Amino acid sequence: MIDAAGTPTAAKLRSRRERLRRRTLRMLALFYVLMLLPLVADAHGERAQMPQLRMSTVHWFDIEVSTTRLDVNDEIVVKGSFMPSRFWPEHVESIEGTAFLNIGVPGPSFVRLDSRVNGVPMIRSTRFMRGELYHFEMRLKARKPGRYHVHPLINVKGTGPIIGPGRWVEVGGNAADFRLEATTLLGQKIDLEHYGFANAAWWSLFWFVFGLSWFVYWLLECPIVIPRFKRRDELGVDADQMITKADRRFAFIYLTLTLSFIVGGYQYAQASYPITTPLQTGRVNVPPAERPAPTVKVEMVEARYRIPGRSFRIELKVTNSGNSAVTVGELAAGNLRFVNAAVSKVVPADEDDLVAADSLRVENGPVQPSETRNIVIYADDAMWETQRMTTMIKSPDANVAAMLFFYGADGERHIVEIGGPMIPVFG
Amino acid sequence: MAQDAPAAPAPTRTAVATSAEQRRAYIQFDLLIIPLIVLLFMGIFSFHFALLVGDWDYWVDWRDRRWWPLVTPLALSVLPGVFGYLLWDRLRLPVAGTLTILCLTFASWVSRYLNFHLFADFPMNMVWPSTYIALGLIFDCILLLSRSFFVTGLFGGFLFGLLVYPLNWPLLAPFQVPVELHGTMLTVADLLGYEYVRTAIPEYVRKIEQSTLRTFGEAVTPLTAVFAGFLNILNTWFWMWIGYLGAKSVWLRKIT
Ligand SMILES: [Cu+2]
Repeated sequence: MIDAAGTPTAAKLRSRRERLRRRTLRMLALFYVLMLLPLVADAHGERAQMPQLRMSTVHWFDIEVSTTRLDVNDEIVVKGSFMPSRFWPEHVESIEGTAFLNIGVPGPSFVRLDSRVNGVPMIRSTRFMRGELYHFEMRLKARKPGRYHVHPLINVKGTGPIIGPGRWVEVGGNAADFRLEATTLLGQKIDLEHYGFANAAWWSLFWFVFGLSWFVYWLLECPIVIPRFKRRDELGVDADQMITKADRRFAFIYLTLTLSFIVGGYQYAQASYPITTPLQTGRVNVPPAERPAPTVKVEMVEARYRIPGRSFRIELKVTNSGNSAVTVGELAAGNLRFVNAAVSKVVPADEDDLVAADSLRVENGPVQPSETRNIVIYADDAMWETQRMTTMIKSPDANVAAMLFFYGADGERHIVEIGGPMIPVFG
Repeated sequence: MAQDAPAAPAPTRTAVATSAEQRRAYIQFDLLIIPLIVLLFMGIFSFHFALLVGDWDYWVDWRDRRWWPLVTPLALSVLPGVFGYLLWDRLRLPVAGTLTILCLTFASWVSRYLNFHLFADFPMNMVWPSTYIALGLIFDCILLLSRSFFVTGLFGGFLFGLLVYPLNWPLLAPFQVPVELHGTMLTVADLLGYEYVRTAIPEYVRKIEQSTLRTFGEAVTPLTAVFAGFLNILNTWFWMWIGYLGAKSVWLRKIT
């Protein structure tokens, strides 16, 4: 190859320089990616979390997006329900401490116009009680075109993000068209994309130039480093002679100017913005959703996970105090949904919706009104494996939790959480 | 680097014989060493600042009245202290305060623009860096006028802490105008923080002033400023002492 290039040394040199350039670029790119990883990586931690953490922290269900295709400036509503698990692991900081309803999207590709839980605005952080039911709703406005896997999530202080099911949303249009406005309490209409920036940039530039001029003043006597180093050494204790009268006068003027600009700038800002408030924070309280007294009571008798068959067998003791026969239509664990096709029809929302539409078998049939009976359910699907739920057998705390959706003959849905120890079956 | 040094073919000593040639060699040394120092300051300072101040300087909705003006001067005085001592002691140059902070400022702007704005898509008005250059100027001017590390630590250190907030107020004030959102009063900065989604930075991680029952309520800003000033006197002296230890160390003596 070198021969073909004609002048081997020049070509080699060029290729070496090229390689160096490419390596530098790659290093730079890597550096930026590493710097930003914490900002973007969170959006797709869905399979990375420990199965126990996914199963027994927050149960998400009935997730809906108002649209899957929209343009910049269009709005989308993400809503659904969640229930913090009663089996929340002891070693994980509780959602009853501090929590914040959030949305998992890469950076501000959407802006959040409103987010509520049980009707209460979630601008601030709050707490959610275990075993209680909450309905959330988030209104977002598309800002950047792209295809996003949008997840509702709850950040729990000390624990991290608890991610809900994702939905693919495609945003078209032009990012430059994005507009976001607000009106201050003083009646001023502001453009949130740019408000205040020109002013901040102007002041920054002013101080930068002013500071630079101080440095340049000392650079002007160039060369400075070696000559000053030598003089300083020669003069010894008298080195202060190196500072001339002109230097002192210059410094005095600069000090006076600097202090005046600070004081002047402060007074100017006070006069321009006489009304300001400190940053706002604090906690809000969200009352749990009211529910009728449950008519289906469930006790988990035994849970065994058969590894070769990717099959979960759960024995349940069900008491039905309602007026119509009930049967299990769905088992939901760690954002995976195992559906009993005989009872409930669920169509996956998109290719990454974690629904196994016909994967739940129920033995020993419907539970009649005022009856207590043991039933057995089997949740068999490769999803246990592909979604890395099987690593639950490697946990030091082999407990599971799941939501059961019972359906009555009258069409009513009953939501019950079960949980307890899990025993793996290896053969 | 050795090949680049101008005096390399100088075993005969003729290369630096005339003063004009010596001058040229000194200028070349400056041209080599000063950009290197600038790059070094940019690297060290932005890393150190990201580590200690980080989010307080990244986001406009973190610049509160209590923690930001307290943490910032303590972290900001390190390089001016150490290199202020070194450059004054060895070269009688009162530029370290201004130069280190100029370097930090430049690196911050580049990083906010490239990383936070272009790459992560946050609007610039949410992620602009604060300005601190005036503090470096004050430090350098006091050092020059007093010719004393003690006095510079006392007044320079104090003003460093005292003035962070008033210096930045002309930039920050527009963002602390109140707005209303769904029945809650917020500042414009809070509104930006809420609307521009940060998945990994939930509201509760902000270390900002919380409401207290203390009677000082009204005077949070001046109290924090004075407290930060006093604390920063000791802090500046400490870092100058580190500079003194550095100046004594072998690697610097070897150059002489
Ligand atoms: Cu996803």
